[in-house]
Amino acid sequence: MTLAVSGVAVALPGASGPDALLRPAVAGAGPVDPAALIGRKGLRFKDRATRLGLHLAYAALTDAGLLGSDGRAVTGDRVATVVSSNLGNADTVCRAVETIAKDSTAALSPMDTPNASSNIIASETAIRYGLRGPNLTVCNGRTSGLDAVRWAALLLRSGRADHVLVTGVEPDNEVTRRLVGGPVADGGAALVLSRTAAGEPRALLGPVVRTPQPLATVAELTRRTPRGGLWLSTDAGPVPSGAQRVALTGWGDLSGALGVVQCAAAVGWFAEGGTRPAYALTGTAGAALLPPGGAA
Amino acid sequence: MTYPITGTGAVAAIGADPGEIFDSLCAGRSGLAPLKAFDRSRYRAQQLFEIDDRPNPGLDEPGRAGRLLAEAVRQAAADAGLPEDLGGIPVLVGTGLRELRSLELWWRDGTVFDADRLHFENVLRERFAAVDTHTFAGACSASLYALALGWDLLELGETDTVVVAGCDVVTESMFGQADRVQFDPPPSVRPFDQDRRGTILGEGAAAVVLTREAPPGRPVRGLLRSVAVNCDAHHQTAPDETGVEAAVREAQRHAGVAPADIDLVVLHATGTPLNDRTEATVTARVFAGARPALTGIKSLTGHTSGSAGLLSLIVALRCLEAGVVPPIAGLAEPLPEGSTLRLVAGEPLVTPMRLAQVNSFGFGGVNAVAIVGGAA
Repeated sequence: MTLAVSGVAVALPGASGPDALLRPAVAGAGPVDPAALIGRKGLRFKDRATRLGLHLAYAALTDAGLLGSDGRAVTGDRVATVVSSNLGNADTVCRAVETIAKDSTAALSPMDTPNASSNIIASETAIRYGLRGPNLTVCNGRTSGLDAVRWAALLLRSGRADHVLVTGVEPDNEVTRRLVGGPVADGGAALVLSRTAAGEPRALLGPVVRTPQPLATVAELTRRTPRGGLWLSTDAGPVPSGAQRVALTGWGDLSGALGVVQCAAAVGWFAEGGTRPAYALTGTAGAALLPPGGAA
Repeated sequence: MTYPITGTGAVAAIGADPGEIFDSLCAGRSGLAPLKAFDRSRYRAQQLFEIDDRPNPGLDEPGRAGRLLAEAVRQAAADAGLPEDLGGIPVLVGTGLRELRSLELWWRDGTVFDADRLHFENVLRERFAAVDTHTFAGACSASLYALALGWDLLELGETDTVVVAGCDVVTESMFGQADRVQFDPPPSVRPFDQDRRGTILGEGAAAVVLTREAPPGRPVRGLLRSVAVNCDAHHQTAPDETGVEAAVREAQRHAGVAPADIDLVVLHATGTPLNDRTEATVTARVFAGARPALTGIKSLTGHTSGSAGLLSLIVALRCLEAGVVPPIAGLAEPLPEGSTLRLVAGEPLVTPMRLAQVNSFGFGGVNAVAIVGGAA
């Protein structure tokens, strides 16, 4: 079964579409403003990662043609949600424990209760857009974004869903900065993967693999999908020398969003005329993507 | 397809392995106790179902969730006769709160911690040389959700064996947020009782080994018939009858069984007014005319969050094997929505059984329902 990337969205400072990922980050760009895209309604009390996730979901579902006129997904029973985020609710958790230590639980806001649960981005996305299929949150460290793509593909192939919204998103705040030791990308990307795309697909999804070593992942990817023309990899080490590589640095630590942003960048490359496969590589996880009409 | 479960492992406040936990459930032994490491002056609620594993009593330490996880996985792998090295075997972990307790200690007390320890990759690699490891944060149904993905890996031929686990320790942020809105903390957890007053969190880990075919000569602990997963898409914290019922019916349909075929249901049964009312209503509707025995474990284990679903499943397998169903401790007068249900109360029920359903629901409306059969 060949799976289609039927929708894509990007939300990073200065980057609102996949093409922007192929160019250097815009210095001094302002933060993404979800309210400007999806309105203020329903955003109060949501944490930053959830707001960014809702923004990305709206844009990707719209791109895939899955949103009805009421703003909810058509055939929502068959649409699954997979979110990758390592740091999403870290600030809520840390602020709560600090408040309790300084005062008591009486000083906590009851509105933070849902945000203490790590699946808040995925559940809020499902509620807002009526996505009643499987609802999964992947918090798997560096490989999390590509792992999310892999699990989404599994949900489609096993027949649990017809479409999967895959969102990779991280928030930038004092807690997440301290945790990773530097700026964090305040945003991410989303894809809609489909058994059959409603319209023209943006790309096709090839193999998604995990092996014990990055070099073995590279070997497996190029064996199963040869003649690729682009590598999306922060790390130059495992990428064959001389190959075209996009590192996707410049937005801060993408953490759990990285793999999804890489796939979005591949879509951008195909839109600009790339005709060969593109590889996404994050540590020991890798994925191959093909142009919409198949590889040349 | 039906896949054999060849190993189980679990730890909870009431026992250090599945056998001890089951014996405690049958004997009515509770793990509820005064707070062991949180500052009691900060909370209205003063009790939890904690595991007593801190080397320095009263002093909290990071990494406990991972430690409980490793113990449950060790037990399950040993039970299945797997080697200590799980290098070629995917390990899927469902958790509500990951290592967020360690994150709290880092932020508040300056304990050493880094972002790569929020999930369980390092623990599983260091302990079992596992490389294909996955941490899913899925609130209180996380481990049964992970089991659905394990099933899919077998079904699609991606692996011949998979370890599926769940684990959670209590965080102060989650306990504190609950304390903030629970003005009169419940003295105990009384699932499906008309006077139930809410849930109390617990700690635990559970693991199973699921295979395509049991190796010759190895004991089989049970057969996994199906796992259905969906999402209410309804409310952040409140359950929804429509979503819950759809998950139950899908699990039964996929397993090819009718409600009348099911002998036992291990309920999610948290003891909160809303969960139990919703679950009782759906159960009464789905099982109208059928009379499975119904039980739940949280009055004695507490609500063990992400590990709860798999812990219930392991208890269900023990019930099928032993022909014994532990009662719902603390259940005196059933809630009105459950008046027609065959709730096991008071004493363990002794009865032969072949098929069990296991319910697990979580914040965000994430529902998972499994159907398991006995090995015999």
